[in-house]
Amino acid sequence: MSDYTPLKLGQPVPDFEFETYDPGTGDFGTFSLAAQVAKKRWTILFFYPGDFTFV
Amino acid sequence: MGCDVVTVSTDSKHVHLAWREHEKELAKVAFPMGADQSGGLSRMFGVWNPAFGTAERGVFIISAAGTLMAIEVNLYNVGRNIDELLRKFKANLYLSRKTSEACPSKWKDEGDKTLLPGAKLVGRVHEALQD
Repeated sequence: MSDYTPLKLGQPVPDFEFETYDPGTGDFGTFSLAAQVAKKRWTILFFYPGDFTFV
Repeated sequence: MGCDVVTVSTDSKHVHLAWREHEKELAKVAFPMGADQSGGLSRMFGVWNPAFGTAERGVFIISAAGTLMAIEVNLYNVGRNIDELLRKFKANLYLSRKTSEACPSKWKDEGDKTLLPGAKLVGRVHEALQD
């Protein structure tokens, strides 16, 4: 964990990317912050412990 | 200006698909479901739980410019309130246009009372909040 600098409010978030399952398209895809910034769209990242649990 | 909600857990995209297809409570969920199997993204956002190898219940609002605007992290047994999350998003969106204003705690949507921080507001917040 020590190699991660804590993110600060009001500061730029370093770019990230991950794979997704998108129920909207019914297909797999990728999500990246760079793409969101390019499209000028806000992002709400919602973490939870795990599928098949009581989110 | 638009906003996208994306959920993230350490499950794979295949498990996301299976859960979405199986769990009827998720029938209306249309958000992309992100796979953070390495836990790298959870570590980056400070919500990694090493004891379980999972993410904590964290939610982060990032502006269209890629700036971190809000953080909420709860323990596993406390749910997040979607109305409050939307309130915070709307307030941030509003303040990105009205940069000299501030949204007080009871602000819910555009048209609600805002504050104009400055010398005239010092010691006068109560009066400023009256209509």
